[in-house]
Amino acid sequence: MANVIKCPVCGENNLSDQEFCQYCQARLQPLTGNLKGADAPLTPGELPTKKSTADLEAVLPQWLRDARSSAREASDEEAIQAAQAPQVPQTPPASFGADLLAGLHSQGQAEDDEEEYTPDWLTDITGEKPKTKKSQTESSEVRWVELGDKKDFAQPEPASDTPSWLTGITPPAAQQPAEEKNDLTDWFRDTSDSQKPISFDSSPSTPPAGEMQDWLHSMGADEGSFNDSGSTADEPLTSSDTPDWLRAMDAENAAKNAAPPLSSSGVPPASSDTPDWLRAMTAENDAPSPSAASSDAPDWLRAMDAENAAQNATLPLSSSGIPPASSDTPDWLNAMTAENDAPSAASEDAPDWLRTMDAPEKSQSADSVSFSETASGESDALPSSAGDTPDWLKGIESNASSSDQDWLKGLQSEKSEEPAQDLPSWLSATPPPAPKQEVPPPAPEQDADALDIPSWLKAAAPQSSIFDEPDGEQQEPAGAAPSSDTNDWLNAFKSVEPETPQSVPAFSMEQPLDSAPPAFVDDAQSSANGESLFTEMPDWLSIVDDSASRESIPAPITNVDAIAPGDLPSWVQAMRPVDAGTPQPVSTSLSGDRAVESRGALVGLQGVLPAVQGFAPTSKPKAYSIKMQASEEQLAHAALLEQILEAETAPVPIGSFSVLRTSRGLRWLLAFLFFAILTTVLSMQTQIFSMPVGLPLEVSDALQVVQSIPEGAPVLVVFDYEPARTGEIESAAVPMFDQMILLRHPHLIFISTHETGAILVERFISGPLAGHNYQSGVEYLNLGYLPGGQMGVRAFAQDPVVTAPYALAQSSNLLNFALTPAWNLPPLQGMTSLSQFAAFIIVTDNAESARVWIEQTTAAPNPISEIPFVVISSAQAAPVIQPYYAAQQINGLVSGLYGGALFEQNNAGRPGTARNYWDAYSIGMLLAMALILGGGLLNLALGLRDRAAAREAK
Amino acid sequence: MVISPDQINLLTGVIGFLFTLLIFSYVLGDNPLFRVAVYIFIGVSSGYIAAVAWWQVIMPRLVYPLMSAIVSGSMIEMGLMAVPLLGALLILMNASPRLMGMGRVAMAFLVGVGAAVTIAGALIGTLIPQIMGTINAFDLNAATTRGIGFVEAVSNGVIILVGTVLTLAYFHFGARPKADGSMHRLGLIEVLAWGGRVFIGIALGAVFAGVYAAALTALIERISSLINFITSLLGNFL
Repeated sequence: MANVIKCPVCGENNLSDQEFCQYCQARLQPLTGNLKGADAPLTPGELPTKKSTADLEAVLPQWLRDARSSAREASDEEAIQAAQAPQVPQTPPASFGADLLAGLHSQGQAEDDEEEYTPDWLTDITGEKPKTKKSQTESSEVRWVELGDKKDFAQPEPASDTPSWLTGITPPAAQQPAEEKNDLTDWFRDTSDSQKPISFDSSPSTPPAGEMQDWLHSMGADEGSFNDSGSTADEPLTSSDTPDWLRAMDAENAAKNAAPPLSSSGVPPASSDTPDWLRAMTAENDAPSPSAASSDAPDWLRAMDAENAAQNATLPLSSSGIPPASSDTPDWLNAMTAENDAPSAASEDAPDWLRTMDAPEKSQSADSVSFSETASGESDALPSSAGDTPDWLKGIESNASSSDQDWLKGLQSEKSEEPAQDLPSWLSATPPPAPKQEVPPPAPEQDADALDIPSWLKAAAPQSSIFDEPDGEQQEPAGAAPSSDTNDWLNAFKSVEPETPQSVPAFSMEQPLDSAPPAFVDDAQSSANGESLFTEMPDWLSIVDDSASRESIPAPITNVDAIAPGDLPSWVQAMRPVDAGTPQPVSTSLSGDRAVESRGALVGLQGVLPAVQGFAPTSKPKAYSIKMQASEEQLAHAALLEQILEAETAPVPIGSFSVLRTSRGLRWLLAFLFFAILTTVLSMQTQIFSMPVGLPLEVSDALQVVQSIPEGAPVLVVFDYEPARTGEIESAAVPMFDQMILLRHPHLIFISTHETGAILVERFISGPLAGHNYQSGVEYLNLGYLPGGQMGVRAFAQDPVVTAPYALAQSSNLLNFALTPAWNLPPLQGMTSLSQFAAFIIVTDNAESARVWIEQTTAAPNPISEIPFVVISSAQAAPVIQPYYAAQQINGLVSGLYGGALFEQNNAGRPGTARNYWDAYSIGMLLAMALILGGGLLNLALGLRDRAAAREAK
Repeated sequence: MVISPDQINLLTGVIGFLFTLLIFSYVLGDNPLFRVAVYIFIGVSSGYIAAVAWWQVIMPRLVYPLMSAIVSGSMIEMGLMAVPLLGALLILMNASPRLMGMGRVAMAFLVGVGAAVTIAGALIGTLIPQIMGTINAFDLNAATTRGIGFVEAVSNGVIILVGTVLTLAYFHFGARPKADGSMHRLGLIEVLAWGGRVFIGIALGAVFAGVYAAALTALIERISSLINFITSLLGNFL
C-alpha cells in the first residue's frame, strides 16, 4: 500500500508520491530539498561531526556576545587579582576554569535574562562553580593535594565559575578547604580538571574526554540517556552539538583556566529553581541544629551529611573555615554545608537518601581522602590506603551488586559515626589537608569505595571514569543494573533512555586506580583534553574559546573555518531527528529523482527540479481567456485597417475599351470588294485613271541622277527589301533602272544586307530587266549578302574590298553559291572604295535600312557625299526617308508605285508595269478612301442616332 | 530530264499561285492552308538563309581565309582568323543556357561596337543633317538653286520649322504640379504640343497612306500575277 501524506492545509490524505495536494493543490513536498546529510537519521549514540563554525560568532545574539565578552573580562580581572594576591600563591583547582558549565554563572551575573537559557536543573546537576571557590584564602596546597599538581591550579579562576548552589557547599579555599569536600559540585568542578580524580572516584581510569559532553549531550538532546562511559568512551567527541549557551560557558571556562583561584566571596544568588526540599534543607542548615536541617532531605543525603560531618571533623582545614552560606548557594547545598559545620544537626527535612549519606560521610571524615580527588590524578591525590576506605564503600566493594539503598544505609550509618564530616568527601571535593606537593596514589580500596556512589549520581554525573571502567577497557561493569530503589526523581534521569545498551553500573570498578588515568582528569593545559571537553559545544565556540584561552582575542575568521556549502553545522546535525528505528515514509518527488543539484543557486539541494523535461505537476493548468480586451474604438480602427489592407490586395478592374474588330462579314465584304475590283481592273487592263502628271522634286532629282550617271560607270545598288515587297519595289525601281540601263549602261554592283537580297537581285535582273540581258560579272555583279548590319555597312563603306571580297557567280542554278573574287571582275575592276562609284542607289522597303545606309556612308572616313544618292523605297518608307531628301542627304527619292509611274512617264512608258497597276492602284486608293470616309461617316451617323435616341429617351 | 525554262516558269507560277491563294485564305480567317503556306515560307526562308550564311559568310569570310592562312603558314592570318572563329564559337554558346555566359563576351563586343557605330552614324548621319536641313529650309538661295520658288521655299520652310518645333513640343512631357494636385504642362507647351499633335497626325496619315499604298500595290501585283498565270495557262490551252 502506498504511503499517504496528509495535506498540511486541508488535512486530506494524498499519496506520498504526489507533490501537490489533489484537493487543495497545496504543496506537499518541500520546495527545496534537504541539506546534504540532513535527512540522514542520527542513531542513538552517534555523535555529530565536528564542524568549524567559528565564523558564525558574528551572528550571535548581542546578549550572548556580551556575556562572552564579560566572562572573558572577568576572567582576566580575576587572573590579575589572583596574581596580585600573595596569600594565594596556589589557587584552588584550575579545573574550574575548564569547567564546562562554569559559563552559566558568568551568564547569570552578566544578565539575568541569560539564566533563562540555562536550565536550572542542568545548572544544579552540572554544579556550576560556586563563587566561594574563588576565595583567595583557600589553600592552594589543599587544592593541590586534592585536585592535582600545583601548577594545575596556578591559574586564577573567576568567582563566577562556582555555581551558586555549590557555593554553600564549597567553602573558601583559604578558610575551609576541607569544606569543599562536602560540596557536591566539587566533583563536577573536578570533572573539568581531568587530572584530579574526585575523592569518591575509586576508579583510576582516565575518563574519556567526551564523557561529560556525552551526558550533557544526551540531556540536551532529550535523549535522557546517561550513557556510561563505556558506551561513548571510544567515540570521537566533538563540540559541534553544544548549544550556544554552553559555548558561551566554554569561553568563560577557557578564560577561567587562566584564573583558577577560587573565591568564596562572590557567591551568586540562589537560584529560584531550587527545589523546595532543597530550600528546606538550606533553612535547616542555617539552623544550628543539624537534625532539623535535613529533615526533608532524602535519607541518603542525610547519610551523606553525616559522613561529611565526620569527615569535617577529621579534616581540620575543611571544617574550620567554612564561610556562611551564600544566598546564591542552593538551599539544599547550604543545608549540606551547614550540616558540615554542625554535624550533629542533621537536617530532618533532608531526604532520606541525603540523610543516609550524611552518616557515612561523617563516619568517613577521616577517610575523606578516599573521596577526595587526586590532584595529579595519580597516587598523589589518593594517599589513603585500604584502611581509609569507608565502610560503606567497603560494603559496596564487597557487594557490588547490592542495591543503592543498601549503600545509602551504609553511608548513613557511617556518617553517624563520623559527624565531623557534614558532607562526604566526594561531594565536597575539598582536597585533603595534605600540604604536600605530592599526594600518595590512592589506594585501590578507595577506588573501590567510589563504586559505592549511587547510580543516580553516576547517571547525573558525567560519564567519567569515576563510575566507569578505565578508558579503553569498555568492559561491562559487574552489577551495572541500576537500582530500583533509587528515588523517582533520580530515576527520571535514567529513564530518559532506558535502553542504553552499554550502561555501566555505578561503582563497577575492576581496575586499580593507578592503572588508568584518574577520573575527571582535566588537563587545563592539555589541548587534547580541553578540546574533548568542549566537543559538545558548537565548533565556532570551541575555536573561539581556544583562542580566547590563549590570547583572549577572538581567532580571526579564516576560510578554513568556513563551512563547506551544503554541509550541516554540527549543532544542526545534533538537531536532526533521531532515527527511532522505524523509517519514516520518505516522500519522493514525482519524478523520483533525488539527485543533488551540483550547480547554480540550488547547489546542495536535492530533488528540487524534476529530472524529466516537461515534467510538471499533474495539476490542471489554468484556463486563460484569449479574447482581446479592446474598446469599440480600437475595434473600429482595426476593422478600418483591415479594410485598407484588403483594398490594397484586391484586384482593381482595368477599364477596358472595346476593341474595334472587323466583323467577319465586313472583312469578307471588304476582301471581296478589293479582290473583285482589283481583279476586274487588272483583268480588264483598263486605263481609266491617268498617270500622274508632274515630277516631284525628289523624283526629279532621282531622274536627274539617273540621267547624270556616266556611261558604263559602276553604280552601287543596295537591295534591302523583303520578297513580299517585290511587286511594289520592282514597280518603282524597274522604270528607273530601265531608263538608266538604256541610257548609261552602268555596271551594276548589287549588295544586300538581307539574306534574300542576293536572290532578289537575280530575280530583278532576270525578271523585269531581263530584256537588257545583263550578265553577272560583266554588266552587273552580285556581291551577295553583307553581314553585320550597321557594322557591316560601316565596314563596307570604309573598305568595300575587304568587307565584300566575293561575288555570286552568275548561274542559271539558283542554288549555285559559288563565290568568285568580286573586285577583280570587270564591274569592279580597279575600284577600292565607294567614292569611285558613279551613283549609290538604295532599293529598300524599310526606312531603317535606308537610314543606316545614309548614316554610315555619311559618317565614313571616305564619305560618299559627292556620289549621287538615290533611294527607291516602298511607299510605306517614304514618309521617313523624305526628311533626308529635304536635308539634301540624298539626291532623289522614288517611292512606291507612284514614283515608278512617274519614272515610266519619263521613260517612255517602259516597262508599263506602273501603268498596268495604276488603275487598280487608283481604284484601290479610292476604295480605301471611300471605305474610310464611308466608315467614318457611318460611325458618325450611328453616333448621332444613338445620341438622338438617347436624347429622345430622356 | 531537262526542265525547260518555260516549265520552270510554269512550275514556279503554279507554286506561286497556290501559295498566294493559301495566303489569301487568311481573309476567311486563320486556317491550316494559311499556316501551311506560312510554315513553308519560314522553312524555305530559313534554309535559304542558312545556305546564304554558310556560303556567303562563313565559307568566304572564315573558312577560306583560315585555310589559306594554314596553307600559307601565316601565323598572322591564322591569328586574325582565330578572332572571328572564337567570337563565332562564343556566340554559339548562347544556344546552351549553361554556356550562355561564355557567349556574352562576343555579344558584349557586338553590342559595344554596334552601339558605337549606331550612335556615331545617327549623330553624324541623322541628327546634325536633319537639324541643318530644317535650318536650311529657309535658305532661299539653295531653294532657288534647286528651282524652288520663294513662296514655296518659305512655305516649306515654315511648315517644316513649325512642324518640327510643334512635334518636338508634343514630346516635351515636363509638367508642374497645380494647386489642386493635378499635373499640367506649361500653357505654351500645351499649345505647341497641340500643334505638334496635328503634324504628327499628318505624318502618321502619310505613313498609313504609304503602308496602304504599299500593301495595295503588293495586292495588285499578286492579283496581277494570278491573272497573268491564269491568262498564260488559258492562253496555252486556248
